[in-house]
Amino acid sequence: MQKETETNWEQPMKVESNGVLSEGARRVWRYQRILWWMFAVNALLALFGVRPGAEQFGSVLNYSQHAERLSNSFDVFAFLELIAKPEIQLGSVNGGAVCFAVVFFFFSLFLTGGILEGYRAGRKLRTAEFFHACGVFFWRWVRLTLSLVVCLIPIMFLASMLFGWSADLSENAAPETLGFWVLLVGALLIVGLSMAIRLWFDMAQVHTVAYNEQAIRSSLRHALRTTRQNFASLFWMYFRISFVSWLILAIALCVWSRMPGRMFGWSALMLEVVVLAWFAARLWQRASETVWCERWEVAQATQLSPARPTAVPSPSASVSPTAG
Amino acid sequence: MAPHFGRLTRLAIVGVACAMQAFAQTPAPDGSGLPAGANVLRATLSQTALSERVVEYEIDARYNADKKSLDATETLTYHNLTGQPLDTFPFHLYLNAFQPTSTFMREVRLDKPSFEWQEKYHASATVKSLEVVGMGDLTSQMRFVAPDDGNPEDRTVFEVKLPRAIAPGESVKFRIVFHDQFGEVYARTGYKRDFIMGAQWFPKIGVWWQGKWNCHQFHATTEFFADFGTFDVKLTLPQNEIVGASGVETGNVKNSDGTKTLTFHGEDIHDFAWTAEPQYRVYEGDFVGSLGHTKIRLLMQPGHARQAERHMRVMKETMARFDRWYGPYPYPQITVVDPPHGGSEAGGMEYPMLITGDTTWWLPDGIRLVELVVEHEFGHQYWYGMVATNEFEDAWLDEGINSYTECKVLDDIFGKDKSALDLWGITGGDDGLQRDTYLSATDRDPLTRPAYEYLNYASYGDVTYGKSATVLLTLEKVIGEETLQRALRAYFLKYRFKHPTSEDFLKTVEEVSGQDLRWFYDQAVYGTQLLDYEILRANSDVTDWDRSSKSELDARRELFQTSVVVHRKGDFVFPVDVQVQFENGETATEHWDGKDRWHRFSYLKNTRILSAQVDPAYAIPLDKDFYNNSVLKPGDHAARNKLTHYWIVFVQFLSQLLAWLT
Repeated sequence: MQKETETNWEQPMKVESNGVLSEGARRVWRYQRILWWMFAVNALLALFGVRPGAEQFGSVLNYSQHAERLSNSFDVFAFLELIAKPEIQLGSVNGGAVCFAVVFFFFSLFLTGGILEGYRAGRKLRTAEFFHACGVFFWRWVRLTLSLVVCLIPIMFLASMLFGWSADLSENAAPETLGFWVLLVGALLIVGLSMAIRLWFDMAQVHTVAYNEQAIRSSLRHALRTTRQNFASLFWMYFRISFVSWLILAIALCVWSRMPGRMFGWSALMLEVVVLAWFAARLWQRASETVWCERWEVAQATQLSPARPTAVPSPSASVSPTAG
Repeated sequence: MAPHFGRLTRLAIVGVACAMQAFAQTPAPDGSGLPAGANVLRATLSQTALSERVVEYEIDARYNADKKSLDATETLTYHNLTGQPLDTFPFHLYLNAFQPTSTFMREVRLDKPSFEWQEKYHASATVKSLEVVGMGDLTSQMRFVAPDDGNPEDRTVFEVKLPRAIAPGESVKFRIVFHDQFGEVYARTGYKRDFIMGAQWFPKIGVWWQGKWNCHQFHATTEFFADFGTFDVKLTLPQNEIVGASGVETGNVKNSDGTKTLTFHGEDIHDFAWTAEPQYRVYEGDFVGSLGHTKIRLLMQPGHARQAERHMRVMKETMARFDRWYGPYPYPQITVVDPPHGGSEAGGMEYPMLITGDTTWWLPDGIRLVELVVEHEFGHQYWYGMVATNEFEDAWLDEGINSYTECKVLDDIFGKDKSALDLWGITGGDDGLQRDTYLSATDRDPLTRPAYEYLNYASYGDVTYGKSATVLLTLEKVIGEETLQRALRAYFLKYRFKHPTSEDFLKTVEEVSGQDLRWFYDQAVYGTQLLDYEILRANSDVTDWDRSSKSELDARRELFQTSVVVHRKGDFVFPVDVQVQFENGETATEHWDGKDRWHRFSYLKNTRILSAQVDPAYAIPLDKDFYNNSVLKPGDHAARNKLTHYWIVFVQFLSQLLAWLT
């Protein structure tokens, strides 16, 4: 394991950002097994999550001709009639779905160490290596996630205030659309702020893996400095990938809204592609951040004094089953 | 004691009777059922009364736009056509409902304990003096009464006792000086920023109905009831205000103090409402009906200007259908008011010759809220405006019939399954909307319950609108859609400018259909029985089930005993059709009177059952569960799969959202 070296933090370093996204994409593609696994587990858990609901829906719909109003088109009042039936317990259906979403959350939390280690290594890790990395970093991610939640609480508070404010403006301000624009701009700012915070924590995760950092606070401090010094290029990188995923979703919804109701097999396939694309986008962000960090480390090394050689962490050997 | 009519009054009544006779019965030359020469019978500025004009209101009001208050003098002439002497007269003061201790607000709070009173809602109508011409000042004789709940804090009804009775046929003239303080619009009336909706704003006399005064307190679940008459209203307000009102504008004088005085005249109407706002954009259109031209005046918010065409189109389409189906709109004008954002409490309301819509700046065409509201409120010009039922006691007669005709009109304009919603592949018909409303309160209250005695506000709304419309949609199954439409036309023509009761309507339907419908009324209108039929069992079994081995020929000749059991789950007895389909394409259509708890249909055929369905035409929307009406063999999982997949995608995105935190 490499330990963090002393760095000249006061000097912002120029990181060669060209090709970071393409290199990130290459690593996602090269290590696409992660993507498929995440997608498969997510789909499987969702399937389990909706199973009670599917059974409830099936008990009403499978043998009823009235169900045609939902399969051939989508009659909203037939749907409302359906969910009002005592056989359909939406509370339990929702509860199951949320439960499985939480399970996926922990699964995702667990995998993050292995994913970052894999992208850092730039090669396919052996299964043992991958899961070892997952295990090594798991509790650090728990601590990091708790810190993230603490950071997001004020954001949620802000969001709640924004909703209240815009609702009040929508009712009482003379320009009718003022409330909407305040909500839109505020929501964009809040999304931007949340993305910036997520970016900071992403960088802390990359740093933690790169240097096998035990102290989360140290990782966060380090990542805060790095992110702050290079905010524009990092955020632009993060945003572009997010934008691609939103664009894919918007296009898919647009196509979906024009598909005949009976073609739900195709719409199902298309929506699954969107889910996959969103996973890919998130992994692309992580891989690109890892690539960026590597380049940042190189840039950092070249700026350091020859008298104080820096040990740049080896991309291939930061974590191994025997280490840590 | 025989009624003692004054000569003038007798003449007036004879004139009214003749006019009504002519209006109601003289056929049009084109055979449309409309009165001959009907185009001269315009209800405003006409020489011929269409209604028994019991009241004559003359109001001179000055609106203070800064204080949102109004000072006025009302001169009310009441013609005693009751056939008996009257010495006590009750009046509504509806604005006093918007006070925390009123019956209205207590009911709001009872229904919704989280409701918190805010001072901005406070409104009041204060009678400063009340004089009866020839009897002097009777302000001291006024006393507030609470005939419905005895609430001493409620000040929405007062009555005044005269020193001497007004004989039958005589008239009495009240001169009332009053002050209104409007609150921020909470229910129908009030202000929002520069907008003001002046509704239920003047002391309004009760109705002598069924041998006694009918003057209920204002409740959270009630609307209004008043006598027909004439209104001459002078309204003085700032010159920059754009004004809409019941009646037609007959004068506009600019005053030196920066105000203007508008004069309005309305005839054969039973209420007068007005609105003002400097920002209104005015659009005008013209509808040509069987009585000639009617001016449509839209007062739109600037931000909703691009929806003016939607409003105008649905108004014209609706007026055309009402004119063709039910009868003519006799007034020369109709004003459609678009309340501002934050003022939607004033929206979706009807007044004679003036209605309020409800929309927002972003509303897409596929969400037909504009059309639903505008159509509905215009429909009230017939079912409330002209057929002036008692909204306190028979709320279903105006809201229910109007919701039913709303379905008919919108289905005709937009198509049955898309008349309420058609957006992104998601659809919904207006009859589905009414049925969905009914399903929320299937058996809570009968239609005929007085509005203020409903279980709660939700039940009042669900039953008077949704259930009533659904009852009438189901009645179509009994007497036919065309017959019901004819019955509504007959009801309108017979009872316009009158105050019919539930029985008047129900008897009219029986007369037109030629059927005794008491069995239906007792359950659907007066009762709360649940209607729910299901296919309890549907299966086919080989008759020679005991034979272990069969030749190929035997298998081809195999006979199946098919049994379909229909079950009446609810207490509502209703005859139903049952359709049974077989694998070989054969269809059997059966009829069951529905009286027993269940009924078995048996078939012996060399084919198996494919499906069985009660009410295959979905013609009985009162059936509370359409899903159990049929059995498919084998099942079709398409709908389940579709819903399940959407649900899966939702959970997948939810998971991703959570995983974003990791």
